Formats: sequence, C-alpha cells, structure tokens
Amino acid sequence: MQMDFSYKVTWLHKINPSLKFIIIIILFIHLLMIHNINFIINYMLGMTILYLFFTGHPWKRLLIISIPFILIFLTSSTSMIFFGKGEITWIKWGLVHITEESFFRGLHLGFRGIIFATLGIIFALTTRPVYLFYSLMQQLKLKPKYAYSFMAAVRLIPIMIEETQTLHYALKVRGVQNHKGFVGFYKKLKSYSIPMLSQSIRKAYRIAIAMEAKRFSDTVNRTYYYQLGFSKFDMIFMFYFVIMILVSYYAAINHPYFSILDVRDNG
Amino acid sequence: MKKGLKLTDILVTIIIALLFGIIYKLWGPLYGVVSTFGLQIEQLIYGMWFIAAIVAYLIIRKPGVALLAEVAAAQGEFIFGGEWGVVTLVFGLGQGLAAELIFAAFRYKRSDMFIACLAGVASAFASIGIDYYYGYVADLAIWNLLIMFGARVIGAILISGIFAYLIVQALEKTGVTNLVRPASSEDYKALN
Repeated sequence: MQMDFSYKVTWLHKINPSLKFIIIIILFIHLLMIHNINFIINYMLGMTILYLFFTGHPWKRLLIISIPFILIFLTSSTSMIFFGKGEITWIKWGLVHITEESFFRGLHLGFRGIIFATLGIIFALTTRPVYLFYSLMQQLKLKPKYAYSFMAAVRLIPIMIEETQTLHYALKVRGVQNHKGFVGFYKKLKSYSIPMLSQSIRKAYRIAIAMEAKRFSDTVNRTYYYQLGFSKFDMIFMFYFVIMILVSYYAAINHPYFSILDVRDNG
Repeated sequence: MKKGLKLTDILVTIIIALLFGIIYKLWGPLYGVVSTFGLQIEQLIYGMWFIAAIVAYLIIRKPGVALLAEVAAAQGEFIFGGEWGVVTLVFGLGQGLAAELIFAAFRYKRSDMFIACLAGVASAFASIGIDYYYGYVADLAIWNLLIMFGARVIGAILISGIFAYLIVQALEKTGVTNLVRPASSEDYKALN
C-alpha cells in the first residue's frame, strides 16, 4: 500500500530537533504546574494555532489526525468528572456523582491531555527521526551506538508492518478461530508476537554483525553525514512560546471564562 | 570482557522495543474506547504498557536492558505520534526504572514468572506515582481510586507478568534467544 505523505516544509521543520525536544519537555513541566482552567484553555488555543497553520501538512490529514483527540479528552476527563471529589453536587445517580469541582477538574485534565497530544503530534509531524537522532548525537552527546541502533530499527518498521499484514492473511487463510476474553487475547498476542519477535531478533542480530564487520565503533570524534546546528528559527520557536504563555496568562487573569482559579480539591 | 551493553544487545533491545512501541501506539485508541465504559475497567489492559521492559529483559537478561527497552518503546510511541505526547516518555522512564530496580535487586540472576510479575507490579506502582502528579488521581473518590489501583495491578500481573513470561517461554523454543543471551552455567557444564 502506497500512502502519500508529502508536506510543505515550514519553519517548524527547520528547528533544531534537540532544542525542540527540550522545549517540549520544559513545556510539559510548566503545564503540570498550571491549575487554573482559564490559563489552560488559552494555552490550548495557542497550541492549536501552531498545529493548524504551521505544520505544513494538508488540512484533510490534520483533521483525520485530530480525531483521536476527542478520545483523549474523554479518557482524561470522564472518570474525574463522574467520580471526583467535590462539594457542590450537580447530579447524583447511583455511583456517579458529578460536582462542580469534579466537573471543572475533569475538563482541566481533558484540555491538558489535548495540549500534550497536540505538542506530541506537532513534534512528530515536523521532525524527521533521522535528524532527531543526528541532532541528539551532536548536541546532546547521545552515544552513537544507541542513536544508530534506533535509526536502523526505525528503518525496519515498514518491513515489520508488512510482515504483520502477511501474518494476518496467513492466519486467516488457515482458518484460525478467534476466542473471546483474556484467553483469546493471549492466544492472539502469542500468534502474532512469536513470529514477529523471532524474525526481528534475527534481523537485529544480523544487522549488528554487519555493522561491526564494517567497523562501526563508538568513537567520539566521528564525522556525520548530516550536520545540524542552530538557526533563527530556533529563536522564533522560543519567542512564540514565551509570547503565547504571557498572553494566555494575561488573558486568563483579566478575562477569565470561569470563576474557578484552582481546580484541585482543597477540602 | 567489556562492561555494558554491546551493539548487538542494544540493537536487539531497541528493535524489540519498537515492535512494542507500535503496539503501545495502537493500544492508545483501544484504551480510549474501553475507558468510555467507565468504572476504570480500562485499567485492566493498562499492563500492556509495561511489557516491553520485561520481555526484553527476559530475552537478553543483562543489566540496563529493561530500562532501555521501556524508554525506547515510549520514544517509539512518541515519534509515531502517540496520543499522550511527551507524557509517554516520562511514564516510560519511570516504568522502566521500576522494572530495572526489581531485576537489579535480584542481581539479574532470576528470570522466572515471579520476577516478571514483580517487575510488572513495580512498573504499575511507578505509573501510579506519576499519575498522582499528572492526573490529580488523589482527588478521585476513594472507592474509585482503589478500583483503579487494583485493576491496574491485576492487569500488570496478568499481561506484563504472566503473558510476557509465557511469550518468552514460547520464543525460547524457536531457538532465537540463544543468539543474544549470555552463556549460562548450564552451557559451560554441557561443554565438559
């Protein structure tokens, strides 16, 4: 199956991958410290702008990719909304107990989940894995044996997917019955994982031997096919977040959507 | 002998991890669908996300493999555009470290079903610890919180403990594990 996965290269693609990675981790830590739902909503809008207009991928693809976002919102928020602690009861129905506090805390978690997802997708859509590992080696001094192993493994993924397809057809042709429940799950897991694992291990072993035969070594002063550095786009990226966070914060303080400023349970 | 993991070990570990990384990625939507039933039953399948560390360790049986496998699997899920983004990496690191500590506590000598289950439970605790900060889980009603913990630990024992062990047992029959495992005392005895 051939899939068209072409895209326009935008400034987001030209950012140093290591820097992008570190900024995303810093944003993650920052997000964990935000408990104000108004701030989170503004933050989410800022991310959405980046996702919709600057990844360089066509609209249709962006829409399809964002379908699971609804699921993330649901998984992150529902149990908190239905079963969270709180004082001001809205609905009580059997075990379900929705309170004002739990409702907003659930929404907060849902929005936060969407922000993390958007950040992750932005990174995945705008970073080529090969550049990421070259950059990790050059800027963050990741050992070449880890980086090259990873790149070799990433190259094997299309083959693995094809093998899974073949395996699926083979099992179908031979009339393998599906069982239900945990036993069925185990049988299915086994029938796929054993051939996949054994093939992959054999392949990995052969690749490693071939690499060593070609004198692959862990020396520090090696040369690189791709040289990655920093550019003005890195500054733009950092400024975008600084400005976005300041504006979101200002708007959250002066024009809040809800009167709740901290979603945690204080009782 | 040189200390640390050789290129072969690393490559095999990372390829196993990426294989599970694909499963981890596919697990996200499944988890989402199951969780809409409510009452935390999705926690029963959460254990799948601990499996890479344990399977990789049971296959290669060397220090550092469990941690590397779990982080690599999480990294794989991340670069394939997993639903939880960078959160995955934090969980991967925590879960991998927890499993690694269990294997280290037994000096990397044991690789039976018990130790696999123990490592699974340790990973489950690590994930719960991270959830404490990330998911405000302490603010859930207490009975709900207990169901969540219980289901996650049971799922961990079943999937990442028992299933992982049985898979590696079955894999041993293919003979492929002999390629990557260090020689054991039985191998030396067989030489005499």
